[in-house]
Amino acid sequence: MIRRHMRLWLALPVFLASLLVLPGMSAAQRFDWQAFKGTSIRVMADTNASGEAIQANLPDFEKLTGIKVTYETFTEDQYRQKVLLELAAGTGAVDVFQTATAQEGLKFWRSGWYEPLDAYLKSSRLTDPSFDMADISKPALKGNTYDGKLVALPTTQQTTMLYYRKDLFEKHKIKVPQNFQELEEAAKKLNNTEEGGQKVVGIVLRGKKAAATSQWAPYLFSYGGNWLKDGKPAMNTPEAIQAFDFYGRLLRNYGPPGAVNYHWYECISLFVQGKAAMYTDVSNRIFFFEDPAKSQVVGKVGYALFPSGPGGRRPVMEVWSMAVSSKSKKKEAAYLFVQWAASKENVLKMHLKGVPSVRASSWKDPKFLSEQKHKDWIEASLKTLEIASTDWNPPVTAVSEVRDAVGEAIVSSILGEDVKAAANKANDEFVKIMEKTEGK
Amino acid sequence: MVNRTELQTGSPTAVSAPRAPRPGVFFERHFGHLMPLPAALCISLLIIFPLAFNLYMSLQTWFVSSATPPRYVGLQNFAEIFGKDARFWNSMWITAEFTVISVLLELVLGLLIAVYLHRDFAGRGIVRTVMLLPMVSTPVAVALIWVIMFNPSLGILNYLLSLVGMKPLLWLGHPRTALPSLIFMDIWKWTPFMVLILHAGLQSLPFTPFEAALIDGASRWQLFRYVTLPLLRPTVAVALIFRTMDSLKTFDTIYVMTEGGPNNATEVLNIYVFETGFKYFHIGYASALAVILIIFVFAVNLLLIRVRERSWSY
Repeated sequence: MIRRHMRLWLALPVFLASLLVLPGMSAAQRFDWQAFKGTSIRVMADTNASGEAIQANLPDFEKLTGIKVTYETFTEDQYRQKVLLELAAGTGAVDVFQTATAQEGLKFWRSGWYEPLDAYLKSSRLTDPSFDMADISKPALKGNTYDGKLVALPTTQQTTMLYYRKDLFEKHKIKVPQNFQELEEAAKKLNNTEEGGQKVVGIVLRGKKAAATSQWAPYLFSYGGNWLKDGKPAMNTPEAIQAFDFYGRLLRNYGPPGAVNYHWYECISLFVQGKAAMYTDVSNRIFFFEDPAKSQVVGKVGYALFPSGPGGRRPVMEVWSMAVSSKSKKKEAAYLFVQWAASKENVLKMHLKGVPSVRASSWKDPKFLSEQKHKDWIEASLKTLEIASTDWNPPVTAVSEVRDAVGEAIVSSILGEDVKAAANKANDEFVKIMEKTEGK
Repeated sequence: MVNRTELQTGSPTAVSAPRAPRPGVFFERHFGHLMPLPAALCISLLIIFPLAFNLYMSLQTWFVSSATPPRYVGLQNFAEIFGKDARFWNSMWITAEFTVISVLLELVLGLLIAVYLHRDFAGRGIVRTVMLLPMVSTPVAVALIWVIMFNPSLGILNYLLSLVGMKPLLWLGHPRTALPSLIFMDIWKWTPFMVLILHAGLQSLPFTPFEAALIDGASRWQLFRYVTLPLLRPTVAVALIFRTMDSLKTFDTIYVMTEGGPNNATEVLNIYVFETGFKYFHIGYASALAVILIIFVFAVNLLLIRVRERSWSY
């Protein structure tokens, strides 16, 4: 009996102390992944590599937080329509959505569909102390910032890169192009050469109207041009006209016939069949090229920095991020998901599976360095991460429409039509679209 | 309870008593109206409501964004379409070109094949079945196969051209050849439909006029020109109406093969509507375009039906 009382007496100070500490603890608000255990959230994502990689890692999140996730994916075009309609309906049925801010950011921000994340990131209750913002690529964060507010946490990126056939370059004694002039010379020399019993084209690039614009953007920037100048369309500036002309000339003279129908899919097909000597596009192409099941050029591809133009070396970076819907009724749980998706552990896991990371730490990871044999790819990626622009799309609300208008000028240039007239037409369209959709 | 006894005994008391009509009587009296009611409801829900809503949306301007809510603009969308939109007129022209050329060629080819099949020969059944395959195959899958065949560097069509010593074509890869290529594919896919209808028409023709003509000593060509063709007119008209209606609305194959490109060279009206609505999200403007498309299809077919009634009937 006494012993039992003893225990009680011993327990009392502990109990009293805990009374004192508990409110103090909740005031200090320690971070806890399990804080929203039992909640369920709905996430919408694109079926791109990063959307699918996050889906594959979902069990990690559910185990870590006890939050149940309904994860819906759609192919790119359907995704854009679906997420737009869901957010416009404003029912709060979506808690988290995947977003490419360069594509829809301005429109979504102006519509008030993004929940700004700054306050969440500052909160010691909601953000894991080991989250480490400084580890995330600065340009990627900058691209996700509107009016000083961070609207989404980046998870993955793809940067522009020059792919070239090492074997052909050696055979024909050509240096890896460092600038546009060398790029054109190399394309000219290699075009129509025979290799392995088949004809090789000098270079392949996207040529299909709107699909081409994002890969034409680095050419535009490297000529010193930009989408807008003082807030107005700048598609008929001398720099832009040069970029249209150069890109079209490359494809017309040294590219595959019918290049105007080439989306990235056709470009990759041609390249993995060994029928193209060079290709500039986003960096994850390595996973197609070095896959023996899909590619006949395994081990023959070199990875280099995008060449520089008269205006410098200006590759672009495409970023995919996760955002919290401003209409969500479970914003804090949703934020935990976004934070987890962009966390070091998750991003590294995706990175190791071939979805390039936005975090410097993933690129230095020993496991990654021992697995990734193509050091030139790592080097080119890392250098590009520092200098890339995230404006692979025109910074306007009506991105798709402007891409079509600009894409028409690219196609005209490929077809050998009057580039200046095409650029003027694209610019006029661009102006009209902005007047109509920006309301200013 | 009363009802049941009535049923059991067949007592006429209930009928003689003047009362408000019971549900059963109402049901019996309006039986003819009630039976189609579910169907009518479905149709109004699935067709009439969207049509009406589409008409309503065509008077608005809306970009599916909360920054600019829907705004009533009256007929402004239509004014802009007819007055300023070069892309609209381009797509109208392409729609017309695509429809007229492909439907006419399909008709001529279909007629020839139907006449050819309208004879007895060994394996006719097999030939007829095989003939129909392009028509019943899934449009999107078939279109993807055609994309591969049309590919200037990898496709089989350029290889076939090279066999007969012709220069390779760019097919879908050039604004000048893209539309003819699509028409080529459309003819391959839809000629069997013409064959099917015309063949059925041929089989249902009365025998007597032919007999009379033969007795009068008509040649085979005269028989075809002055007996078969005139008798076949109503069937031809029906086939034309079906194909024209379909052809004006073609979307799937064109979208898969060119998405309206290169540079809008194959952008039929339906694709323009889709791009405006689901890529640019100008819902009001797209609705207005859709209204025009509906009226256009309707008008063309009304015209065809008139023509059929006036001069083509016998």
